[in-house]
Amino acid sequence: MSRGLRSELAGRRWWDPDLDPDPHPTDPGPEERIAARRRRIAARLDAERRQALGENEEPKEKAEDVEKERISHRQMEESQQVCIPPSSQKLAKLLFEGMRMVTDIQVAADLRETQRRAEQAKLKLQRVERLENEARSSASKFEEITSKWALAKEMTVPQELWQLLNQQQQQCTQLLEAKNKLIGELQQELKNKDEQYVQTIKRQSDDINLLLERMEEQIRMMLKTYRHEVRQIEKAFELERRELLDSNRKKWEEAIQALNTKELEYLHARVRKVEEFEKQLNQLRVQDEEEYNSMKIHLENDVQNLERQLQHMKAVYLVDQQKLEYNLQVLKKQNEENTIIGAEQKRKLNWLRSLLNNLRTKLVEQEKQFREENESLAADCERIMRQCKEVKRRMRHSAASDAEKFMKVWLMNEEEAKGLMRKALDADRIIHTQQLGLPWEEPHYWFLNNVGPLRNYKAKRMATKLATEVLTGGTHSLSALVTPVALESSCEGQEEKEKEKEEVGSRDTVTPLLNISKKTAKRILELVSDESGFLIERKLLGPLRALGKRECTLLRLDSIFSALEIDSEDDLYQLVDFFLKYKAKEGALSQVGVPGTAVGRARQSRACVGHQGKAEMGQGAL
Amino acid sequence: KEKQSLSRMQQAAGGRGRAIPWLSPSRSRLTADSYCVHRIIEDPEWCLVTVPPLAELCLQHIVQNFTNNPVLDHLLPEDQRKVLTRLPTHLPLTVTANLISDEDYWKRCCTERWQVCDISNHGGSWKRMFFERHLENILKCFVPNTTDPNQVLELIPLCRDYVRKLEVDQFLPPVKEDQKEETDDLSGSESDFGFGKVCIHHYDLGALVPALPLLEELHLTYGVKDCGMNFDWNLFKFTHQDCCNLAAAVKMCHNLKVFKLTQSNVDDDKTRLLVRSLLDHPSLVELDLSHNLIGDKGAQAVSKLINHSKLEILHLCNNQICDEGARALAQALAKNCTLTSLNLRLNYVEDKGGEAMGCALLTNTTLKSLHLGGNRLAEQTAVLFSQVLTQNSTLTCINFSCNPIGPDGGKQLLEGLRCNQTLTEFDLRLAEVDKESEYLISQMLWANRDAACLQPLLQQPAEPL
Repeated sequence: MSRGLRSELAGRRWWDPDLDPDPHPTDPGPEERIAARRRRIAARLDAERRQALGENEEPKEKAEDVEKERISHRQMEESQQVCIPPSSQKLAKLLFEGMRMVTDIQVAADLRETQRRAEQAKLKLQRVERLENEARSSASKFEEITSKWALAKEMTVPQELWQLLNQQQQQCTQLLEAKNKLIGELQQELKNKDEQYVQTIKRQSDDINLLLERMEEQIRMMLKTYRHEVRQIEKAFELERRELLDSNRKKWEEAIQALNTKELEYLHARVRKVEEFEKQLNQLRVQDEEEYNSMKIHLENDVQNLERQLQHMKAVYLVDQQKLEYNLQVLKKQNEENTIIGAEQKRKLNWLRSLLNNLRTKLVEQEKQFREENESLAADCERIMRQCKEVKRRMRHSAASDAEKFMKVWLMNEEEAKGLMRKALDADRIIHTQQLGLPWEEPHYWFLNNVGPLRNYKAKRMATKLATEVLTGGTHSLSALVTPVALESSCEGQEEKEKEKEEVGSRDTVTPLLNISKKTAKRILELVSDESGFLIERKLLGPLRALGKRECTLLRLDSIFSALEIDSEDDLYQLVDFFLKYKAKEGALSQVGVPGTAVGRARQSRACVGHQGKAEMGQGAL
Repeated sequence: KEKQSLSRMQQAAGGRGRAIPWLSPSRSRLTADSYCVHRIIEDPEWCLVTVPPLAELCLQHIVQNFTNNPVLDHLLPEDQRKVLTRLPTHLPLTVTANLISDEDYWKRCCTERWQVCDISNHGGSWKRMFFERHLENILKCFVPNTTDPNQVLELIPLCRDYVRKLEVDQFLPPVKEDQKEETDDLSGSESDFGFGKVCIHHYDLGALVPALPLLEELHLTYGVKDCGMNFDWNLFKFTHQDCCNLAAAVKMCHNLKVFKLTQSNVDDDKTRLLVRSLLDHPSLVELDLSHNLIGDKGAQAVSKLINHSKLEILHLCNNQICDEGARALAQALAKNCTLTSLNLRLNYVEDKGGEAMGCALLTNTTLKSLHLGGNRLAEQTAVLFSQVLTQNSTLTCINFSCNPIGPDGGKQLLEGLRCNQTLTEFDLRLAEVDKESEYLISQMLWANRDAACLQPLLQQPAEPL
């Protein structure tokens, strides 16, 4: 250290011969820095401790109220403030004194430096003055010497010249001596200065040592005092803390006691409640058990039912499954068949298609042919039509002539007939009046008044129609049935004879029918339809059932009539009449079957016989 | 034998694994197992616990090959920590500088390299400390024309993000003979060096300083430390060229806040040169030109700088400033409103300059600290300053030590201090003031100090200059 310092100082010698104990007045030396740092550290430690103390206290205070904590904090801070100012002042004073002690050395060095500078300046002035004096005197001497050299040139006598030269030499040596003396003096001064320098260096190193000592001492002292302060602060805090702790503990204990009593109360209340609840629980449990049991039974029943159902369902399921499997197989087979059929159909389709094509071609040919034929036939037709017209005209002409002829013949015949009639009637009258003596009444026949051919061409209605009318229609139909006949009978009274010749049977048979009431006729027909079901074809029986009664009867009658070959109105009348007469002649029933019993009715009963025969045949078949 | 058979079986299994493709992923494990089995044969006391885990081995490998393959960012935080604790400190800076930001690693680097490490001087960062001191060391040992300038230039990209303060107290001059070998060797030295004729410019900071964007403090001393008996004036020559280079470099450095150029033989011309480059500097706050040869003209230049910058602290102690220079400074001070501290210790200000200062302080409202120790101030100045003390309410610290103020001056100052409430430090040691007034002054100062302390509680007294 000292060596480094010395060398540093040595390095500075050339510009500042005297030493500055503190080379960096603004930049404090390492020791000072260390001291400052230590101070800072101490202060920081102090602060930390204080903080730690405060922090240590806090957790214990947490139990307390926040308010109290705040109050205690404030108290603590106040106590800190109370204790800190004197100590801080003391410390500051100490610090200041120490700093002053240390800086004293610097100040002393500064003073020395200023003094030295002043002295130096004085000496420098003296030196300069002396040098100037010396320079002035030496210059005058030198001028003297140089002026004598001119004389020397003029000198001719050797002795004089020698003398002069000697003098000159002496003067030169004097001059040189004076200079040398001055140089010696200056060198002496320099030496002195060097010594002084060494001395100052020594002094400065002493100063530095002193400085170091003082600094160390200062540091030591500061440390001691800081430690002392810290200890005291800690003590104070400790004391406060203890007080706080005590008070807190007291409060704490009180609070705990209060808490204990309260807890006991709570516990009792709780026990009571627990008992109550237990009772309730037991009740509830019993209730629940009962409920549970009933529920259980119910549910078990349910379960059993459901199991049964399940079994059933399973069985159904099995059956269904089998069925479905079977169906599936069948369907599969059907499917296979269908595929086969499909293939066949396809083949057939192809074949048919080809056939169709052939037929089409044929059709086209045929069409052509037919068209030609048609044309020829149309021509033929036209020709035939013309011929037909001709024929018709001719026919009309012949018909007219025929009709005229017929009329003439008819009128002639009628005249003849009427004459005959009148003859007969006259004969009858004569017989009656003359022979028998009976009043005779002239019968009025319609045909007697008739002139010209009969206009009774009314077509016989079909038997079925009549039947329908009989069955469906009311009285009017019957009257309609009756009236025309009555009218006819009334109007055709004159032509009775002619009629008798040709249509005796019909006239006779019809008349009884006309007298039959509609009701009986209807009944007869219904009976026929009901009783003669065997005549109906079997195919018809099915559809007949679906129909209503009347239609059914109608249809049955229709089929029966077709079976019995009853076509016309007259046949029906005969049938009805037969049934009526049959009823009347019950006794002669056995003779009905024998043909030819009543020749006059042979024609009448023809149908009946046929009918009967057929019926017998049907019976035989049955 | 059983183990052997086992190993054989495992090998066979490995062989099968090789034969069957889908077993191949497990092959490495199998071979590792077989290796372990072999080890068992060799050492009967061996157990599996002693085998380091693979992760450990990997980390070891990473540490060993860190120079070639620095893997750090991809590691897990735990592994990163392991690697960092194991990394050797002599790794090249090109690898570590921008990769490692772990403070512990740099702490190891620092403590291994230097005995005394005061981290508080370097902003509390070990890394910053390492780079700053590393750079300082290189600059201290830099010999122009001999040392390769790339040595510094290569370091710039590595340290530019960390260096904020540069404190170089030695600049070596260029040499013909090797001068670096004898440092402390006093006895065996050659005393005559032939520096005189050759150019003796020092290292040019112009290449370095502008490349450090974060640089805030620059402390320079153009001199040679530990030269011993090899002393030569040329070793301490701060040439005009050096000054030009330095001025240009400082001008380029926009973030500079503190600039100190001490013990460097800075005379008036060089001061003017420097001041010209520092005019209107955007951030300069502190300027220290103490222990130089600055005279009145230099002081005038500096006074011009005071009003053309944000300067707050100015140190001009131990220079040759006389009354004229002091007057110029006082004029600047009268107008200025940024300067808070002025140090004119050990100059030749004398009463004329002192009076000018006092007049300036009557109007100034920013200066807090004034040091006029060792300036041959006498009673006249004291009279004026007693007036200053009554009027000024910003000054907190005045130093009049080592001035021949005399007892009357002391009384005057005492009178002035009676009306003052702000002054907390007033140094009148060795000022020929009588003890009574000195004591009274100290009492008043204590009262002021207490008042100042009570307002902001627990505030530490301001440190004396």
